[in-house]
Amino acid sequence: MFLQVGQLLQNQNDLGMILQTLFSLSFIIYLFYAQRIQAMTMLRQVEGTLRKVKEIRDEGRHISIETVKEFGKSENDPSTEVDRFLEHFLIPPVSLDPAGIIGKLGQLVNVRESTFEAEVRAMAPEASDSEVNNLENLLEASLALNVYYKVIRHFYLLGKKTMNIYIIMQIHMILPMIVREIEAYSSALQAFKNGMPIGDGVGALVAAKMMHGHEWKDVAKEMVAAEVPYNGRTLIVTKAKGPGGSVGKPGDAVENILNGRKGKKKVKAVIMVDAAGKLEGEPTGGVAEGIGAAIGGLGIEKYKIEEAVKAHGIPTYAVVIKQDISHVVAPMVVELYNACDTAVETIKRMIDEKTEEGDTVLVAGIGNTVGVAQ
Amino acid sequence: MKRMAETGAPQTPMMSQSWVTLVVVVVIGVFSLVSLWMGFQSYGGEHPEQATYYIIIGTAGFAAIGYMFFRTKTITTKKKPKVPKVDVVTILECQSCDLKRVRDFQRGDYVYKDDEPCTRCEGTMLITGIHRRAEEKKKR
Repeated sequence: MFLQVGQLLQNQNDLGMILQTLFSLSFIIYLFYAQRIQAMTMLRQVEGTLRKVKEIRDEGRHISIETVKEFGKSENDPSTEVDRFLEHFLIPPVSLDPAGIIGKLGQLVNVRESTFEAEVRAMAPEASDSEVNNLENLLEASLALNVYYKVIRHFYLLGKKTMNIYIIMQIHMILPMIVREIEAYSSALQAFKNGMPIGDGVGALVAAKMMHGHEWKDVAKEMVAAEVPYNGRTLIVTKAKGPGGSVGKPGDAVENILNGRKGKKKVKAVIMVDAAGKLEGEPTGGVAEGIGAAIGGLGIEKYKIEEAVKAHGIPTYAVVIKQDISHVVAPMVVELYNACDTAVETIKRMIDEKTEEGDTVLVAGIGNTVGVAQ
Repeated sequence: MKRMAETGAPQTPMMSQSWVTLVVVVVIGVFSLVSLWMGFQSYGGEHPEQATYYIIIGTAGFAAIGYMFFRTKTITTKKKPKVPKVDVVTILECQSCDLKRVRDFQRGDYVYKDDEPCTRCEGTMLITGIHRRAEEKKKR
């Protein structure tokens, strides 16, 4: 059979000429259109990701609407309100003259929070305080997914319109990182809908483990604190008020606790515990200790804490529980849950090493307290 | 308003696409094999340049198969759910008799919630933990 096929192509001169022409043609095409071909390949990859992100964004919107209906027990369709929420934005303050920018940013964030809360209460009038907090978090996750989708779509359409490889490359190069963040937010939908503890809540869970069973009181907006005796010391443990999804105002809590100790024994040390991003290769749930204010976010709360401890001359120590970005807003994995016990032991050892009997220590558990009471 | 998520391609065309891909791969594979065989046959013959062409065609065919295999792998594999759902468990402990129980998470559960009565004593079970069900480690 092979011989017969071979006989069909006996005229090697013709075949050679055809192949030579094809090779030359493809070489010329590649010479002039290589960049365009590359741009088209990249655009196809971006398009594939865009489809996937759109599906996740739509699912987020759908879950948000269903949950608002469920919690709010309202007969009105909240789709319009949810869609309006998903388009919400914040204009950051001008940074040309950076003096006082933290205060301006803080005020904007406060206004944003109260606006979100009012909108959610209007959408779901029958929801409890915890449910309102969880709904806020759920809608914020959906809002983030909507922003990711719109930004990728912007670069995709702009790239397609101009066929400019540098515009396409901008989104193509960071696509793997963006996809990881989007997948993390998609996991958050299940957690916030059902009020499950998330990876970011390890700090709050550590504080809850230390303060559970002791009388607590409100110390700042959505922040609680309890005095806990330990090895002859007094621990003031503070965390966001759970079990609704909230990060509270740890900066205000630390400031109020330190300022409110006039006439009482001075706080000897501040120990902060929070979740921290891990580098590839590091184990999930690894506990590390260091110096400084362990708190993320925009920097407003960190600034307040740093100012407060500086004013009182108190050393600040940090304990972090390492986790991947995919774990931060997803339901808590067992490694992180187990790491909370290790973190509690680490904090107790630090207290034993760095303070003496009779001292007072402030322990601040930072993070979203969804699904964790006190 | 019709949502784009509802207009996505259904599962069945993807399956048929995978069959078409398989047929194309088989056809290219057969022609590549024939081409390589002819190339090796004519290598020591009168026209070595013809052998080179056959070998190039055969190799290019196999390269195309490899490329198609990696490109279509995601299509042929089972479609993952859009938004992942994970199994979450709730750990309950009795404060009186230390009985420990693990059950599936139910909406309304939260850590340090007094939950259900203890099945062994008169006490109340307290939720002490909520986390994802531990995944079995993949065997190499």
